[in-house]
Amino acid sequence: MTWTIARKEILSNLLSYKFYVIILLAAVLAATSFFVMTRDYKERLADYSLIRPKPGEPVAVNPPNPLSIFAKGLDEAMARSFEVGITGVTVRAGQKSGNAIFAFFPTPDFLYVVRVVLSLVALLFGFDQVSREKEGGTLRLMLANQTSRSAVLLGKWAGNFLSLAIPFALVTGLGIAVLGLDPDIRFSADQVLRLALILVLTLVYIAFFLSLGILISTLTRRASSSVVILLFIWVLLVFILPNLGTLVARQIVDVPSVRALSEKREQVWTREILLRIKGQGDMPSHVLTISAENDALEADYRVKFDRLVNLSKNINRVSPVASFVYAVTEIAGTGIGEEGAFKSDVVRYKNAVLGKMLASPDLKSSEYPAFLYRYRPLGRVLAAGALFDTAWLAAFGVLFFALSYLAFVRYDVR
Amino acid sequence: MIATIVKKEILGHIISFRFIVTLALLLVVVPVTTFILTNDYLKRIDDASLRQAEIETYLRSYGHFNRIGPILQARPAPIPFHSLVRGLAPDINLGEFDNDPLPVMFPLIDLVFIVAIVMSLVALIFAYDAVSGEKEDGTLKLMLANGLARPKVILAKVAGGGLTLLVPFLLSLVIGLLVILVHPGVDWKGADWLALALITLGTALYVMFFYGLGVFISSRHHSSSASIMTSLLVWVLLVLVVPSLSPYIASFLSPTPSRIQVDREVGRLSDTERDDLGRKLLAERTRELIAKYPVLAQRLSEADKKRVMERDPAAREAFEAERKTTQGAWDEANRVQGGKIEDIRKAARLKEEAQTKLSRFISMASPLSVFTYLATDLSSTGLRNEAHFGRVGAVWDQAFGAYQRRKIADLQAKDPTKDWWNTPVDMSDRPRFVYAEEALGGRVEAAMPGFLLLLGYGLVFFALAYVSFLSYDVR
Repeated sequence: MTWTIARKEILSNLLSYKFYVIILLAAVLAATSFFVMTRDYKERLADYSLIRPKPGEPVAVNPPNPLSIFAKGLDEAMARSFEVGITGVTVRAGQKSGNAIFAFFPTPDFLYVVRVVLSLVALLFGFDQVSREKEGGTLRLMLANQTSRSAVLLGKWAGNFLSLAIPFALVTGLGIAVLGLDPDIRFSADQVLRLALILVLTLVYIAFFLSLGILISTLTRRASSSVVILLFIWVLLVFILPNLGTLVARQIVDVPSVRALSEKREQVWTREILLRIKGQGDMPSHVLTISAENDALEADYRVKFDRLVNLSKNINRVSPVASFVYAVTEIAGTGIGEEGAFKSDVVRYKNAVLGKMLASPDLKSSEYPAFLYRYRPLGRVLAAGALFDTAWLAAFGVLFFALSYLAFVRYDVR
Repeated sequence: MIATIVKKEILGHIISFRFIVTLALLLVVVPVTTFILTNDYLKRIDDASLRQAEIETYLRSYGHFNRIGPILQARPAPIPFHSLVRGLAPDINLGEFDNDPLPVMFPLIDLVFIVAIVMSLVALIFAYDAVSGEKEDGTLKLMLANGLARPKVILAKVAGGGLTLLVPFLLSLVIGLLVILVHPGVDWKGADWLALALITLGTALYVMFFYGLGVFISSRHHSSSASIMTSLLVWVLLVLVVPSLSPYIASFLSPTPSRIQVDREVGRLSDTERDDLGRKLLAERTRELIAKYPVLAQRLSEADKKRVMERDPAAREAFEAERKTTQGAWDEANRVQGGKIEDIRKAARLKEEAQTKLSRFISMASPLSVFTYLATDLSSTGLRNEAHFGRVGAVWDQAFGAYQRRKIADLQAKDPTKDWWNTPVDMSDRPRFVYAEEALGGRVEAAMPGFLLLLGYGLVFFALAYVSFLSYDVR
């Protein structure tokens, strides 16, 4: 019975105006996003080939991550150039910092399209599931025919999920296939696995919003009030809660401003150079002091910043949308955790290079080790929180479906 | 008659469910945001004064002219408007080792964000059934059967709906402003209030645009469920898609030279290549000088130099000439390399400015971008302020440069043998950088095109709604 209802839902979706408008929108946006982000990735790759360190140079540059096409996250920050010198690390940011308009609006990557547009689409599929049939009088007829309520609800859920997921999977699959044909973009087996996980997560995310839509639909009498409520919930979940959470966390955890840190670094090295010129101590000892003080600053900041990140993550998880974003970016290797690990690697690299510099009498060497960042293995990423976020998202989806079942069992179909 | 319909529209909206939800949402979100941003602003003030104190401490022991530039650099200061609008806040700091990636993940919320995203959606939620809904209810037929002119109906609808929409916004804003007023640490000046009034006017135009758009869409549809679908589709495109895509499209159309490569080249020119050139010039000129003053050939320590100078006026002249030559050689090296750097930087800057301009132009297709630029420019937190800061920073740089030259000249007159560039000196009489926002007049002038554009967009959609409604089949 459930399957019959699911089939009926799919067929009626296929005949509706809503379905075409929505699928067209989602398809066009996904395609545009793939195109734009692929092109952006290629340009960053071309830039990387210009700026990549020559063998022996004490410079750390991480190539852009191909998964950033799907979830850009902090890849821009991880693809900066870190040049190690005796007075510290010189950091240079890429192309985006030359155009302030980039800072005004969010990046239109696949994650953004899913997070914002697909969630809305899923809600629009769910919002009138019960109220429409009630208004049309078909709900009574269906239930009068001894179809169980649970079969109706499950059938509706499954039918709508499939009519959403199949076109979506087709569009995304096509996009990924086009990417796969591109000779400039190479995914490793690990990255393919990560990509598959991201797609699974996306389906969980859609399921969550569909369940939410059906839940509100079973709690309201009219489709028009259901849509209004859902839009408000959507704005709260997608835009307001996650964006407010970080600010709230910042009120609670005291973190030194990044500007204060940069200024301190500046003061440390100018002070040490001055002391050296005045003849106090030899150069290597000053270089070591600069490095040690900078590392202490970084370590102190890291501890406080991690506290801030954890708190803001926990606050933001009030909205499962935030969980989704955290899980996807971490799996893609462009998340906050990955960036922290990368930064620690840069610090280690700096210390290795400094060791080499200090070992030679003129503080110079022609051969420095090359920098190679290894992304954290997938297992560790999942254990570090991505798995929890996925489960959290799925749990909300199941919870909402269960609630809508409870509400539907008591629903007055007259 | 119009007044009656406007009144009916307003009353109809006010008792509606969506009005109550909107009111509740805004009454919570706007004051909470203002409260948090106000605290954030006060924190930033504390941070700024703490940093200033640290710089002062540093200067007392280690303030030497050779490397003081980066430490005394002009920095933007927190401004009172930050308790409402964050704008282009420099937290992300990608150009330094210490960066804060959190706002990249979730952009931080502020008044501009609330208006741009929430108010535009609310406007469409209010408008989607303005015509199609009344048709479904059958009241449109009745109204028009009573001899009401269609232009009056549509005009009253837009006016009534738009006015009602502004009520929850203004109410929540007033409560938010109370937070700012009672906070003793936040000191809003007359210009800030004026700017806020103008931003509110911009908000009204922005919201009216979306309301007009919603009524237009509603009068193209015969069922309200289809009309909300189309409205949301258009909203997604205008609000979420166009602004985000525009800088990317601009960067494809108008590429810029590799920033990191240019930066490195500049670093090389001002560092190793400058040192090589300086040393070369110095060696050449010293050779000529030694031919003239043989006393320079013996490499004396500073103390010996002093002794010789006191005894022998001719040697004094020689050391004076040596100092001048050294200074001259390094000045020459700095000048030559500075010229090269300026050329490279300028070429890159022109390209980047062209790309920024193009991004801005493309994004203006969306009223969201128009409103964002207008509001951030008016509150001195946007692009215009960055340019303004660049200008005042450059002025200050020059003032400090002049001070530095004067001070060094004074010190060298006292003791010509000492390396004053690398000696800590008392800089308490230095000029200090005090950040002042651009005068309101300039900001308003910059925002004018934005106002006109929003008004223009709004009028176009109102006209379209009007035309569609005139030929709407009300049966």
